[in-house]
Amino acid sequence: MSSYQETEDFERDFREALEDLQVNNRYDIQNLTMIARENTEHALAISQVLQDHLKRIAPHKKLPSLYVLDSIVKNVGTPYTLFFGKRLFQTYMDSYASVDMNTRRKMDEMLKTWKEPIPGSIDTRPVFPPDVTRPIENALIKARTSAMHAQQQNLRTEQQLLGRGRSMGQPVPYRETPTPPGSGYRPPSQASGYPAEHAASMANGSPHGHPTQPPSHYPLHQQQIPPTRSTPQPPASLHAFQPLHGGYSMPQSGISVDALTDDIQRLITAFKAEVSRNPHDPSIQTRLKALLDLQSLLQSQNLPQDQLVLVKNRIAELAVTIRAPPAQIATPVPIPQPVAVAPSPAAAPKVSLDSLLGSGALAALLARGSATPQVSTPQPPPATVAIRSPPPQRVEPPKVAAPQADPMSLLNMLRKAGMLPATTPSSGSTPVPNVAPSVATPFPLPVHGMTPPSLENLTGDIAFKASSLKQYVFRPHLLSFMYEALGPQCTQCGRRFKTDEEGKKKKTAHMDWHFKVNQRIAETEKRGQHRSWFIDEMDWINSRETIDEDYVAPTGDSGAQGSAAKAPKLQYIPVPDDPMLANSVCPICQEKFETRWLDDAQEFVWPDALRVGDRIHHASCHKEAMGSSAVGSLYSRNTPEPVLGKRKAEVSRSHLEKCTAYGLRLTEPKQDELTGIRGKLKMEAA
Amino acid sequence: MSIPGLGIAPTAATPTAAPTSTATTTIVSLQPFWEWRFEVPVSSSLTIRLLSGTAEKDGTELAPSTPYTFSGAKSKINTWKGCELQVTAPTPDAYDAYTSKPTADETPMVSYLNLHMKLEGLRAAAAKAIGNGEGDMGPRILVAGPANTGKTSLVKMLAGWATRMGHQPMVVNTDAAQGMLSLPGTLSAAVFATIMDITTEWGGIPSSGPVATPIKLPLAYYYGLSSPDENLRLFKSLLSRLAVAATSRLAEDPDVKKTGMLIDTRTPNAAKGGYDLLAHIVAEFSVNIIIVLGSERMTAELVRRFSGQRTSLGECIHVVGLDKSGGVVERDAAFMQGAREATIREYFFGDVRRSLSPFTQSVAFDGVGIWRIMEAPTTATADSDDFYNVSSREQLLEKVEPSLMMVNCMLAVMYASVHDAPETIRDSNIMGFVYVADVDEKKKRLKVLAPVSAKLGDRPLLWGSYPEPMVSL
Repeated sequence: MSSYQETEDFERDFREALEDLQVNNRYDIQNLTMIARENTEHALAISQVLQDHLKRIAPHKKLPSLYVLDSIVKNVGTPYTLFFGKRLFQTYMDSYASVDMNTRRKMDEMLKTWKEPIPGSIDTRPVFPPDVTRPIENALIKARTSAMHAQQQNLRTEQQLLGRGRSMGQPVPYRETPTPPGSGYRPPSQASGYPAEHAASMANGSPHGHPTQPPSHYPLHQQQIPPTRSTPQPPASLHAFQPLHGGYSMPQSGISVDALTDDIQRLITAFKAEVSRNPHDPSIQTRLKALLDLQSLLQSQNLPQDQLVLVKNRIAELAVTIRAPPAQIATPVPIPQPVAVAPSPAAAPKVSLDSLLGSGALAALLARGSATPQVSTPQPPPATVAIRSPPPQRVEPPKVAAPQADPMSLLNMLRKAGMLPATTPSSGSTPVPNVAPSVATPFPLPVHGMTPPSLENLTGDIAFKASSLKQYVFRPHLLSFMYEALGPQCTQCGRRFKTDEEGKKKKTAHMDWHFKVNQRIAETEKRGQHRSWFIDEMDWINSRETIDEDYVAPTGDSGAQGSAAKAPKLQYIPVPDDPMLANSVCPICQEKFETRWLDDAQEFVWPDALRVGDRIHHASCHKEAMGSSAVGSLYSRNTPEPVLGKRKAEVSRSHLEKCTAYGLRLTEPKQDELTGIRGKLKMEAA
Repeated sequence: MSIPGLGIAPTAATPTAAPTSTATTTIVSLQPFWEWRFEVPVSSSLTIRLLSGTAEKDGTELAPSTPYTFSGAKSKINTWKGCELQVTAPTPDAYDAYTSKPTADETPMVSYLNLHMKLEGLRAAAAKAIGNGEGDMGPRILVAGPANTGKTSLVKMLAGWATRMGHQPMVVNTDAAQGMLSLPGTLSAAVFATIMDITTEWGGIPSSGPVATPIKLPLAYYYGLSSPDENLRLFKSLLSRLAVAATSRLAEDPDVKKTGMLIDTRTPNAAKGGYDLLAHIVAEFSVNIIIVLGSERMTAELVRRFSGQRTSLGECIHVVGLDKSGGVVERDAAFMQGAREATIREYFFGDVRRSLSPFTQSVAFDGVGIWRIMEAPTTATADSDDFYNVSSREQLLEKVEPSLMMVNCMLAVMYASVHDAPETIRDSNIMGFVYVADVDEKKKRLKVLAPVSAKLGDRPLLWGSYPEPMVSL
């Protein structure tokens, strides 16, 4: 009964009702549940609206709507459980990522009840099937573990900076109590598993070794979970838990990328503090920017050692400048706050940075600055590339320290990358979600005239993990590789051709091909066509695809390779121009000749024809009549029979036998050859 | 109405109901990520024309303002950037269609695109490595999943995208129930270097005349049964054979080598060692990426099976589960049979765009050699390990005399000789098919319809039970 219009009206009403729900009001929630119960025919629409609503609303309003969802699935059940279940992971995780700790705790409780049957119900099945709730649980556990690392590390780095100016005592107790007050998380067990060699190489590689450096460091990709969202979005969080890659635990010769990244991270933190102290000093900002770029560069690419040396030197230079006034750092940098109060210990500098860059900027910056380190695994999380404003290879290491004259350039770049709101002062306090800008980012940015980004580098962040492929992170810059980058379409078949010199040449060949084929189609319409035989295995292996060339029966050339002596070429003559001759029949079998277009010769021919004197015979007839092997040998299995097919003359017994013999002879070496190839492959593999 | 044949009456009556109904034209406009999903029965057709924007079907782009006519299809047109389509059909009810309006967050197409781009990255790396003289190969991807999850569509899409970006993927079909560039009942492989003909499943089977869409040359082997477990030993031996040929081509053809393979599979029958069969395919083709569509359970199973395993080239085997498209529709047995019959008819007679003329010929019984493909005894099916057990090697082929049983059946013409050993015949690839129109047991003559007018010579013919006999070709 529900017409489209009705559904739409209903959808609107329901949406409005949801928007009216501002606080956790039991009555309103019950009311919405009743609506859902009475309108199950609109279940799809309702679940859609609710999910969209949840995605859209401000974090502090999410909880009531979540309660609506909870109430509906518990009190109404199917079909809502089905509709919500489908995208529950996303809905839940998105909300979870944005809300504060209190709400999270509520959400945890809610999730717990979803795994159990409805209290008082006779149905023993859980509210949501385990395959819906389990991924969420797993993601949460992983996120917590990584959040822990992030917080610990953040505390440590902050303290190292602070510590230089004052008491050295702090890091030690903190290291041993990784759980900040109020968070209630357990420290992950793998936290201490950092190899000693690495610590050593770090100390060597670090141009500004910290005397107070605690002996244990955490693997990079764990320490830098974006502090703004201690529950990172699923791709990032799942990714963060990849098993360590060999590179981390193995002692490295030369400069360790990890050590470098560590240093950079430390510098970034330092610079951020610096920025918050001197918000008007453009040089610090440019350096910070350079550092961030350098960081992303390091993580997205495997730089050769010599470049690493360069990078290291630059860092050393920067480190000197930041280390120079260590005493000043002490007071201005706020001590990280406990998690229970703010979701992130790094949230403190927000005040100053926000005033500088506009609210939300810090979140984006931090998300960027800290999300990128995860990338140091070869397969980084999807969001990163999209967010990084310039493609990695555009920033050359030597540029890093070069001061940029215009302080606005950083802001502009950030704005361009969608990290900053267009107007700097803004009222909303919602952190910029780090996926959203990626869609809006115009990519590739038409700045810098450097190397065009290669697909290999751009896709480096995609991992063969469902989480990386599946998280619906749309990468418009990659899509352009299949559209704009390929040039405009051929109007006849839709193929794309580039506009450069080579593309033009290809297009000309292509259009010629279309023209020729169309012409030939018109010609052949008058003549009968038929399906041709498939080609033989060996021919198929030896055939190569032809693009924008006429389809040439591969029998000719491939056969020539193997049995050039036996079947030098197709036996044919061009169709005679003389009308008398053109109507002639084979004097032996009295049948007419078949006319066929031959691609090789680019003309119409009579296959299997032989001119003897002024008469034309079927080659096979002639051979048979003459009983001579001189002509017969020209006609073997590799002649047009399989592809050109038509062969009027009767095949003589002797000829058949010859073919058989040939066929047999062909089969055996063929087998050998194949096994040979295969063996070769296996050898290579071994 | 349920009596067969009476169904013709109402269709014959429709012209009176709508005698003046001219072609109806609708304009469909799609926003980015939307899909226009349509079903059109074999008996009718619809024509799509891209008016503006860009649109693609299974990864192959539509050319602007070129009419594409579909018949007997359940498919979709999707767009990344928005488009406007003009849809023309002879009658308003000639087809069934709707627009799906997902966002970028919702459509699994985005994950397929991400997958493709990742593959492109790997191909670029492989090309570089090959350029440096290393033995690298492009990625070899196997797509698995339960029935009706869009496996073939994904393979087609990945092939279409790869081709568009100038690569030459080798597409391998290991699902004998549906043929690729060949008839059902075959296993085949082909290299796609040029644009696909989107109005057909995979494009046309090679024929004598020129065609507007470049032709792809398939290599096909005849299984002659629909399900792998009907004769697992034969199936595996053909797969190995196909793998040898495909790998050899890959090794010798640098364009194909750097692009890699895309392998379509049949839904594994878990009860009958279907996963073992998948493992066999993975090993034979050195698959290094397995995509599982629409089944977390199967993903988990395959992850368990392949975790820590390496290909013969020493690469890790990745198993990734992706969502199926919401637009996948169930194709019932009747639809599939209709599609099979259409394929067979097209093989001999061509399609609306060009008609082909097959040849009828009469052959004496002793002029042909026919082998029947045996179904494996049930004991052998139950224990797939028999494959390697020499003592249990029973005949897979049995030489038979032509009989009335063969009427309306398809026989595969093999690239071998009647004098060859049954094993050689069995392992040969297919030359083509003939259709048995009549068997005269008194005169001992056989009337066959062959695509090519040449004599069959001493080519052995294989008689399987699939594709099933077709009463009216």
